[in-house]
Amino acid sequence: MLDAFSRKAVSADSSGAFIGGGELASLKSFIADGNKRLDAVNAISSNAACIVSDAVAGICCENTGLTAPNGGVYTNRKMAACLRDGEIVLRYVSYALLAGDASVLQDRCLNGLRETYAALGVPTGSAARAVAIMKAASAALITNTNSQPKKAAVTQGDCASLAGEAGSYFDAVISAIS
Amino acid sequence: MKSVITTVVGAADSASRFPSASDMESVQGSIQRAAARLEAAEKLSANYDAIAQRAVDAVYAQYPNGATGRQPRQCATEGKEKCKRDFVHYLRLINYCLVTGGTGPLDELAINGQKEVYKALSIDAGTYVAGFSNMRNDGCSPRDMSAQALTAYNTLLDYVINSLG
Repeated sequence: MLDAFSRKAVSADSSGAFIGGGELASLKSFIADGNKRLDAVNAISSNAACIVSDAVAGICCENTGLTAPNGGVYTNRKMAACLRDGEIVLRYVSYALLAGDASVLQDRCLNGLRETYAALGVPTGSAARAVAIMKAASAALITNTNSQPKKAAVTQGDCASLAGEAGSYFDAVISAIS
Repeated sequence: MKSVITTVVGAADSASRFPSASDMESVQGSIQRAAARLEAAEKLSANYDAIAQRAVDAVYAQYPNGATGRQPRQCATEGKEKCKRDFVHYLRLINYCLVTGGTGPLDELAINGQKEVYKALSIDAGTYVAGFSNMRNDGCSPRDMSAQALTAYNTLLDYVINSLG
């Protein structure tokens, strides 16, 4: 598992180079925006249950066949498994956002996920749609542009780049399963 | 590779929970100290060659015939170059450790197995200790870097010295 800092060390080691000015610049901005990043992770983890259940409810509303007999989330057992998987994906995205690197998400969550879902007969199109809804909800929570009741009492700042970074981790999940 | 953030994430993952408030505090503490570490890394990447050269000169001044006295310096030029190459190698890993904020790079890429290697090659670790001790006393704040940065740098030099002891 790597973070933004150790990623630089690993890539510099492959060429035997010292880590100097250019590479350090991005780490300095990581440090300067450290509090924003922690707020973004907090925004996701504090609203995790809400983000996940909204996403799963969303795919069920968009595709009523899912809850019908032989549907992807027909029976409470499958629905519970769907909610659990949504939370696992969101948890690894929050780790990746905290670390500033996708390696923990790739190694511990996405590696082999497509094959697992194919073996279990999970409809990947619906799963990818649920991840896309979680991506939109997380972006709204990070930039504090979500609907009123869930607004966090934090100073308004430009968190667009962090929302974009979180979005790239959700995109990695979508491309890994679809 | 071990750092504060990967340790926190690993602990959260083994408990299957989202990053908690105390995890955030740990990361925040690491980030606060990171500016000094990165300053030291930047200064080191600019000056490693001169630092290593001074250490080599000090080692050869202290042990003109090798630390054990049984290896006459027949090929002093080649020996000096290899000595400097090794010091630069350690300084590069210290540079990585300063960036990472942990001792992972040194542990994984140098310290694991180093005693066995030096023993097999009949190299006295005391030679390295002499060189790193010289570096340890060579750094000066605020001439070279800020006091906090120098502390981070010296801590890693001490870590290497202790690993060779």
